[in-house]
Amino acid sequence: MRRFEYFEPATLGEAAALLERYQGRAQPLAGGTDLLVELKEQLRRADCVVNLKRIPGIGGLSFDARAGLRIGALATAREVETSPFVLQHYASLAQAARELGSIQVRNRATIIGNICRASPSADTLPPLIADGAQATIHGAAGERRVALETFFTGPGRTVLQPGELVTELLVPAPGPRTGKVYIKHGRRKAMELATVGVAVTLSDTQVRIVLGAVAPTPIRAALAERLLAGKKPDAALLERAAQAAADESRPISNVRASAEYRREMVRVLTRRALERALEAVR
Amino acid sequence: MKVSLTLNGEPRQIEVEPYRSLLDMLRNEAGLTGTKKGCDVGDCGACTVLVDGKPLNSCLMLGVEAQGCEVLTIEGIQPAPDRLHPLQESFMRLGGAQCGFCTPGMIMMALALLEENPHPTEDEIRFGIAGNICRCTGYTRIVEAIQACVKK
Amino acid sequence: MSEFSVIGGSVARPDMPGKVTGRAQYAGDLALPGMLHAKTKRSTVAHARIKRIDASRARAYPGVKAVLTHLDVPRVLHYGSPHPRSASCTKDQYILDSKVRYWGESVAVVAAVSEEIAEEALDLIEVEYEELPAALSVEQALASGAPRIHDLRADNLVVDPVTVRRGDVEKGFAEADLVIEGTYRMGRPTPAYMEPNVCVSQWSEGRLTMWISTQTPFMVRGILAEVLGLPLTKVRVLVDHMGGGFGAKQDLFQSEFLCALLAQQTGRPVRMEYTRKETFLGGRSRHPGTVWLKQGFRKDGTLTARQARVVFNSGAYGSHAPGVTAVGTAALTSLYRCENVLLEGQAVYTNTPIAGAYRGYGVVQTYYALDIQMDEAAGRTFSQPAELKLKNAVREGDLAPSAHPIVGHGLESCIRRGMQEVDWPRKKAPSTGGIRRGWGMGCEMHGSSAYPGIKEQGNATVRMNDDGTAQLFTGATGLGTGAHTALAQIVAEEMGLRFEDVSVVAGDTDVVPWDIGAFASHTTYMGGRAAQMAAAEVKKQMLVIAAEALEAAAADLEVRQGVISVKGSDRRLSVRDAVLPKKGLPTAQLIASATYTPTKSYSFAAHFVEVQVDTETGQIDVLQVVPVHELGKVIHPVAAAGQIEGGIQQGIGHTLTEDYITDPVTGRSLNAGFVDYKMPLSMDMPPIRTIMLETAPDPGGPYGAKGVGEDPIIAIGPAIANAVYDAIGVRFRHYPITPEDVLNGLRAKRA
Repeated sequence: MRRFEYFEPATLGEAAALLERYQGRAQPLAGGTDLLVELKEQLRRADCVVNLKRIPGIGGLSFDARAGLRIGALATAREVETSPFVLQHYASLAQAARELGSIQVRNRATIIGNICRASPSADTLPPLIADGAQATIHGAAGERRVALETFFTGPGRTVLQPGELVTELLVPAPGPRTGKVYIKHGRRKAMELATVGVAVTLSDTQVRIVLGAVAPTPIRAALAERLLAGKKPDAALLERAAQAAADESRPISNVRASAEYRREMVRVLTRRALERALEAVR
Repeated sequence: MKVSLTLNGEPRQIEVEPYRSLLDMLRNEAGLTGTKKGCDVGDCGACTVLVDGKPLNSCLMLGVEAQGCEVLTIEGIQPAPDRLHPLQESFMRLGGAQCGFCTPGMIMMALALLEENPHPTEDEIRFGIAGNICRCTGYTRIVEAIQACVKK
Repeated sequence: MSEFSVIGGSVARPDMPGKVTGRAQYAGDLALPGMLHAKTKRSTVAHARIKRIDASRARAYPGVKAVLTHLDVPRVLHYGSPHPRSASCTKDQYILDSKVRYWGESVAVVAAVSEEIAEEALDLIEVEYEELPAALSVEQALASGAPRIHDLRADNLVVDPVTVRRGDVEKGFAEADLVIEGTYRMGRPTPAYMEPNVCVSQWSEGRLTMWISTQTPFMVRGILAEVLGLPLTKVRVLVDHMGGGFGAKQDLFQSEFLCALLAQQTGRPVRMEYTRKETFLGGRSRHPGTVWLKQGFRKDGTLTARQARVVFNSGAYGSHAPGVTAVGTAALTSLYRCENVLLEGQAVYTNTPIAGAYRGYGVVQTYYALDIQMDEAAGRTFSQPAELKLKNAVREGDLAPSAHPIVGHGLESCIRRGMQEVDWPRKKAPSTGGIRRGWGMGCEMHGSSAYPGIKEQGNATVRMNDDGTAQLFTGATGLGTGAHTALAQIVAEEMGLRFEDVSVVAGDTDVVPWDIGAFASHTTYMGGRAAQMAAAEVKKQMLVIAAEALEAAAADLEVRQGVISVKGSDRRLSVRDAVLPKKGLPTAQLIASATYTPTKSYSFAAHFVEVQVDTETGQIDVLQVVPVHELGKVIHPVAAAGQIEGGIQQGIGHTLTEDYITDPVTGRSLNAGFVDYKMPLSMDMPPIRTIMLETAPDPGGPYGAKGVGEDPIIAIGPAIANAVYDAIGVRFRHYPITPEDVLNGLRAKRA
């Protein structure tokens, strides 16, 4: 790594001030599993690194039957993967967390770090969007809330301004009889970056389908959702919805997979995710 | 910067630059070269150590982040200087190691795995070590070595 | 009581305690006072002249102690693949050149007080490239008007093509009832050993000491001495533990010279360690290439003719291209017997990363084609693949690729045993919801030793200490396979000692006998035989002393587990007591050396594999592998099985997921890391039921033992491809077989 300065601010305000002062040449550090890799591979430069982990009040992972799930800025993927209430009420998020890297990575990687890195193929993004998550953002001007669905503006880009930090994610409580599925496509069974990710949250009243790794940001398969709205899903309808999802995806070709293959996998995995979600609700 | 931590059961104070990884701090400043650098970017698990009981890639953590932590490396798992940990015995005996480069990280991961789940199935073992690459054994004998330490 | 008292058992390996405690020292663990860290600047173009390189800002950077560019190093061509006495080498590399021939080639090195400063200094080195047209594929390199990659060859061939002829192929094809031909394409796997390449250099009174992770310490010593202009007494190479090599740590990588020169210039020790990315950019991959193969069969399935053209992509430098081409091509004379054979092989320079030696050495590629085509022929001759392969399998007396007669019926015994184990032919498994299962088998043979390409020799010195323990001095390097343990077992067995009474001295070129290096699966076979010969000689010397003490003839003495006894009596004496120094008498000097110049022995294998194919996603999973290997004599069962299982992991990777790719337009490496260079991990590996046979021992090996390291990686590939055909009826003639290939293949089949 190139050398950098290092700070451990004691408050959010201090942290935000540092980030703003260094204007993009300062990098916030939570889990470090993206930051340190990118510094070592020179995909990011840092004149200074700001460790957020000494700031009180931004950790935690909690659930309330009415208010839903709160994921603090320091909550790790491993905590989310193994949390009984996440497993019970946010099965797709737990599944996504479980497939992120390795256990060693998950013991450090934070969910909010995953969000802020905004990789189009990030695993936790589709399930969180499918569940209607919101990000609480702290900045110089105060706090604001942004629906995660509108948080991403491009590959690696978010609505965050210099000096802003995401302090928590709030995910609504699930309704009764809701099936949540996340399917990740990768060449191997672990340590993969998704070539396609499909999250389905499905209940009697609504279905949300979110696709990862097939567009510059995660996208809702809105046409597929409309096809399914209010209808009783039989095999033919599921197939049509899956095809619609594939048609809505805009994948690129790269070393991991071709665009055609990715589109085909959207079709196959959307159908499988819908089938499994329906099974879960039954 | 000065880092105070408990390293293999002993309190240590180590002077280290903030841009050094925990892995480099262990290997250089702390003189413990048992933990290996296979990729330095969290893809191979060779650098796995336990920090406050949790297995993680020491290449993805800064040395200064270990302030106040309990760190356990391969050098610290023997119950006594003349006795090996059961995992070390089984890896030796059953062919769980060949070139040995992945072995310290693999044993530390296995240790954490068995700590959390004393009776893992084979699938759970393979899931647990999915982040540890071995290029010599094909994993068959590593799994057997870990299974040999599952308490009946 | 077993016939043998030490070999054949999985004794406790002396290298193990260090490895499981972290105390074993690898070259990168060494910290010397004042040690500097070296980093390498690499080219960002595939083919260019260096118009200008300015290191002045880097030299002036605080903490930097030396910088070397092509302007600062001796301009000496050296052997990249260091077997100077062999036909298998090329002399086409400079330490640093004024030209770069592939994206990622070294252009400069920096030595600084810390790695961070060395890295920062790399940014300050200014390089101006005059880009040249690049030949990024074999086709481009062979096209008329192609850019000339090396001055010595206008045709971009590494060496003149190789031709192997036996019998008369024209006649053979004329006699054939069935002729099959096809073109088989191989991708680019790399060894991806877990320990990145590393060396540490230190000079003292004009003597260079180098600690290094290498399979060939005497080659490193020899070529360093030659290039630096030193006598061999002034170069010492030390190898302790190595974190894998798989053949690819046989070359000199430029880093050795650069590390030594930096240490010389600064007067301080220097460590140069590759990053993981550099093991791709600066290491050695397997040769990608194509094999065009045509064979003729009679109606009853016997082979009448075989013709092949092998074209390997050598990358930017020659490295092992001559050897790989010769061995891979010549291998096609055998495995399945054929009297009429015409084979041509060539290796082509391209502006891509360097291909070199890697476990299997050309035979992975050629036998992938050969065995798959046998399966294809089985379908067309209406015989079962195993039947057809058994019918044509090489057997005792047939000429091996080395032109020596094969000993025993190893291949047949492997096939038969495997068929028995998996109940072959298997009934077709029912398919559920688009998931199809299939079984396949793949066969191979491989030689232990690099003969005849290299006239090898194994050397050993055995010394008995005055307490009855013995030491084996061997130049054979320890890659981590357990080779030193096997050598010690052989010495103990031969001398009648207990295993724990024998220790191995290795890894120091000042001390141990010359050795060509650990590769070509020859350590047990060649190094072991030399050790056995030296041990036998020392045993003779020991028995002379013991005979006197026991008042018996030496011929009447037996030694087992450290005890000497007189046949047919109860008189006995421990070895220790026999050789212990006695008052008033000089201590006996029991020491002997032996040199073994082998020809070749061949090991065999047949792998039986079950796969599962998801016809909707194209995903192929290997469900189980039953590898049957014939190794002559198993010295250490756990270590031998470990070689087989590890080779299978690499072979599964080659066949399904591993491919080191460069951009077809710029030549840039696209997946020089473990995220996108995908090796099978713990959840991707199937259960493996290893079976080892001793049905064809070779008298040229110690106790009949032959090699095993390379065989597994050769057999597994075709077994998988053939199993996929069984599962979905699509024939693949390339590797890696990706999910996209599967879906395309299924689509084409439906059309």
